[in-house]
Amino acid sequence: MKVRQNGRGSNDAPHGCGNGRLSGRFLAKLVPYGEASDGMTVVPARSNEWVRPVTSHEPASAIIEIDRVSQVFQTSARRDHVALSDISLTIEEGAFVSILGPSGCGKSTLLYIVGGFVSPTNGTARMKGQAITGPGPDRGPVFQEFALFPWKTVLGNVMYGPRQQGVRAAEAEAQSRTLIEMVGLKGFENFYPKELSGGMKQRVALARTLAYHPEVLLMDEPFGALDAHTRTRLQNDLLNIWERDRKTVLFVTHSVDEAVFLSDKVVMMSKSPGRIREVIDIDLPRPRRRTELLLDPRYQKYVVDIERMFDDGDEAGPAL
Amino acid sequence: MARFLSPNIVLGIAPIALIIALWQGLVSFGFAPAVLLPPPGFVFGRLLQQLLTWTFQQEIAATLVRLFAGFAIAVVLGVSIGIAAAASPAINAVVRPIVRVLAPLPKVALYPALLLLLGFGHGSKITLVAADALFPILLSTYYGASTVEQKLIWSAMAAGTPRREILFKVVLPAAMPSILTGCRIGLVISCIVVFLAEMITSTDGLGHALVTAARTFQAVDMFVPLITISLLGLILNALLGALRSYLLRGFPEA
Amino acid sequence: MMPPATLTRRAAPVLACIGLLAVWQVASLALKNDSFPTAIEAIRAIPDILGDKESLINILASLRRMAIGFGVAVLVSIPLGLLMGRSRGVAAFFNPLLMVIYPVPKAALMPIIMLWLGVGDITKTLVIFLGVSLPVIYHSFEGAKAVEEKMLWSGAAMGLSPAQRLLRIVLPAALPEILTGCRTGLVLALITMITSEMIARQSGAGNILFNALDMGQYDTVFAMIIIVGAMGICLDAIFERVRARLVRWSEPQFDMPLSFS
Repeated sequence: MKVRQNGRGSNDAPHGCGNGRLSGRFLAKLVPYGEASDGMTVVPARSNEWVRPVTSHEPASAIIEIDRVSQVFQTSARRDHVALSDISLTIEEGAFVSILGPSGCGKSTLLYIVGGFVSPTNGTARMKGQAITGPGPDRGPVFQEFALFPWKTVLGNVMYGPRQQGVRAAEAEAQSRTLIEMVGLKGFENFYPKELSGGMKQRVALARTLAYHPEVLLMDEPFGALDAHTRTRLQNDLLNIWERDRKTVLFVTHSVDEAVFLSDKVVMMSKSPGRIREVIDIDLPRPRRRTELLLDPRYQKYVVDIERMFDDGDEAGPAL
Repeated sequence: MARFLSPNIVLGIAPIALIIALWQGLVSFGFAPAVLLPPPGFVFGRLLQQLLTWTFQQEIAATLVRLFAGFAIAVVLGVSIGIAAAASPAINAVVRPIVRVLAPLPKVALYPALLLLLGFGHGSKITLVAADALFPILLSTYYGASTVEQKLIWSAMAAGTPRREILFKVVLPAAMPSILTGCRIGLVISCIVVFLAEMITSTDGLGHALVTAARTFQAVDMFVPLITISLLGLILNALLGALRSYLLRGFPEA
Repeated sequence: MMPPATLTRRAAPVLACIGLLAVWQVASLALKNDSFPTAIEAIRAIPDILGDKESLINILASLRRMAIGFGVAVLVSIPLGLLMGRSRGVAAFFNPLLMVIYPVPKAALMPIIMLWLGVGDITKTLVIFLGVSLPVIYHSFEGAKAVEEKMLWSGAAMGLSPAQRLLRIVLPAALPEILTGCRTGLVLALITMITSEMIARQSGAGNILFNALDMGQYDTVFAMIIIVGAMGICLDAIFERVRARLVRWSEPQFDMPLSFS
């Protein structure tokens, strides 16, 4: 497979997601909207630091820095599988960043490294300058498999985090009920996960994670197991929830539409070995309405361009 | 074993009724002498009569005490060793080969050794019950604990659960279906083993009642303890089933 | 060359055996109990038992009964279990009966069956048969029940009759589970064999064990325990080999023995 550039390639540095060291720290998170008509090209990120209205008053700072991370799995005695090769990436506070790539490109592994669930073979990941050594409530995961506690009710699942943080039971319950209502599950507080549909389970999982106020949401193909209709609804709801406090989100997906629709920035990965091949700023207005966006030529161009790039890269190997 | 109350209860009662009818038939038509095969009505009458006597109640009590003591020890040891073996590679490395050797060992053969070491009283029988019930519980616990969904543990860790609490807050409840399956098997085995131990050497208990009856060729009195242990097994199994459906109310498979 | 990891894994049970014998040795030396010989004394008594023609015949007769009881039980139980697993009616018919029989110790039926059939081989073999049947039926039932419905539909679409589907699809698909049941059954056969002989006290390995206990020959008691234990472990190990070969295609299974008793 042809690999255009690795994670530290020359194209990355001006993006502010290259070396992952201090250089990325003060770079803005968005291309000014309406300015980058071709969308795909690398835009010097520095030029738009002040453009974005919501966050212009505070300079965006790097919240997660991934620095030359590699991950090698030993699949058998003789063969090693290089899941990630020398990845560097910086994620700014408040950004919605998607990691997009074919299955097996190590995108979930990258997320698990940031989550602290997996330690990288080489390199380090940092959260607010501190090396990540294990999971912590500042980074909340939402998994494709939901991973709800089957022995707890909806309320019990959502309350788990706050209780673990030492919040008093009554207070944790009140907060959790509000959250459950926010994700649209009012009335299901005392249901067990097995009584809910897939979409509802994922709403509970999202509420459970939001309940302990993580600074970064780590979403691992969260809508991958859902049917198309449910997925669309959840994407909309996720954006609505996200608009309230604009937490940093790291979102792993293999759907180009999903990545473009949701993100400020799309990190395209290639596989064998897993590398970053392109980082694309998605310059579309927010709040985003799906119906408006689908008709927007800029949205369409992003989707088509990204799909073409994958096709080009995959000439030698299987497609997405 | 399997589902207790199937929707086709009538169909299920049929074979039991058939057997009793056949039994009655064999006796009524003179194929079997009543000395060897007493008619079912007589046996059940005798059972009811015995259940009301103080001595027989004491036999049941003696059996139940041994059964519960042995089973309880097996549950405590089995669950804790099983979880520990799943949680710690070092403990696993020690436990695994020992279990491999001891699990297929016919524990009844150890009974003479237990008699010599612990005497003829409760101790040896309780130990035998515990030794026999231990392995199914240990193995199911280990299996359940080592197949806990990784992402369940990650979710709890991300919510701020310290590593040592993960064992109690996630692994143990997540392994519960498997643990209870092991307990169910362990319970049936406990019933069987306590009875056998009492048959081999005892001065009381249901097994002893059977042996006493056999020595005096009282066929009726031989049936009574057997039916009693079967009923005890059914009742205990039903109780465990109720506990199971309460504890596993959230689990899809329960 | 075996990789060191495999070597350790293979050697571990042997090490465990040696370790357990060592614990025994130390315990008996520490307890200084007349009725608790050391491991070495017990092992020394083994050749005497196996060298004695009568004991050897006794033990071999035990094994023969066990083999027959086990074999017949497997042949009867697997088809029954598979039928129960694929037909609700059959399952509803047999389940309650099996529920009632399950907690009854099969060896405890010895005294009653002895009344009818005498103390001969038939009685003991019958009891072993009963002991083995239940776990095999149960696991075959569970295995057959879990067979993917779509697989049977595919079979039906290819023109297999119901009987052919049972033989060609359900049986192989349920095989891993069936073999787990057989493994449990094998250990149960050994247990039932010993117990039935302890109760009937006429011949066999169980009889040697308890006669020695009555006569205070403690070396022989413990030597017999080692012999019976070794039988159990060897039978289980052999069966595990066979099982692993038969179900190579299936998921790598849990490698601790799942024998229930």
